[in-house]
Amino acid sequence: MRFFENLVEFRDASGEPVSAHGYTVTPWSRAVVVRLPRARFVWNRPIGVDVTHDGQTVRVPIVEPNRLPPVALLGFLAAVVATSLLVRSRRNARKETAP
Amino acid sequence: MSMNIEALVNAKERGDEYAQRSLERITAAAKPEAVFGTPVVSGQYTVITACQVAAGGGFGSGIGLGTAPRGQKAEEAAAGGAPSAEALGGGGGMGGGGGSTGRPVAVIIIGPDGVTVRPIVDATRFMLAAITMSMAVAMALIRLRRASRRG
Repeated sequence: MRFFENLVEFRDASGEPVSAHGYTVTPWSRAVVVRLPRARFVWNRPIGVDVTHDGQTVRVPIVEPNRLPPVALLGFLAAVVATSLLVRSRRNARKETAP
Repeated sequence: MSMNIEALVNAKERGDEYAQRSLERITAAAKPEAVFGTPVVSGQYTVITACQVAAGGGFGSGIGLGTAPRGQKAEEAAAGGAPSAEALGGGGGMGGGGGSTGRPVAVIIIGPDGVTVRPIVDATRFMLAAITMSMAVAMALIRLRRASRRG
């Protein structure tokens, strides 16, 4: 059971705060660590920055636009496959009902 | 011979320990320092780069022990003795591999007018996706047209 608990770990961590012009920026990252007995995999990405100004802290998320093309492509291909299956099934149904 | 087997097993264990230590170094990529670059000051602006990092690695090892084929043992027995140390043998080996990749995601700019996060767009990715989609649409339209002609 302990093996599965340690298999995948999600780790949120903050970097060194940077201060300039009265703003303090604290970057945050999220890492996914996969631990197998003889292998490791790490995926680390930035998730946002905490901006502190005049005593107020605001979280500014870091959105990655480059993730959009593969997701859109997958969605589009799924839609094309679904449409072609629908068309094919309708055609077959028409053939069966035809005299 | 037992000394040789012991040495073989010890060598394998030492190799496994070394490989495990090397794998632990991969987890250093999980630190925020791997993602955010050192701040660069240019004029009134401070710029921090943010990247996405992925790293992975693995290894494998094994040992094998065995005795000589029956023919060789029979020859030794016929010669009037028990199988010699040379009739037993073994070997081992290990190997591994790994890699890492990273690409820029955004730039954080701290200026007199505030903090802005500007995403870095990979134009090649968008172009490739657009080309693939347009080709898929064209192929689907051609197939639909052919199917409608057939009736």
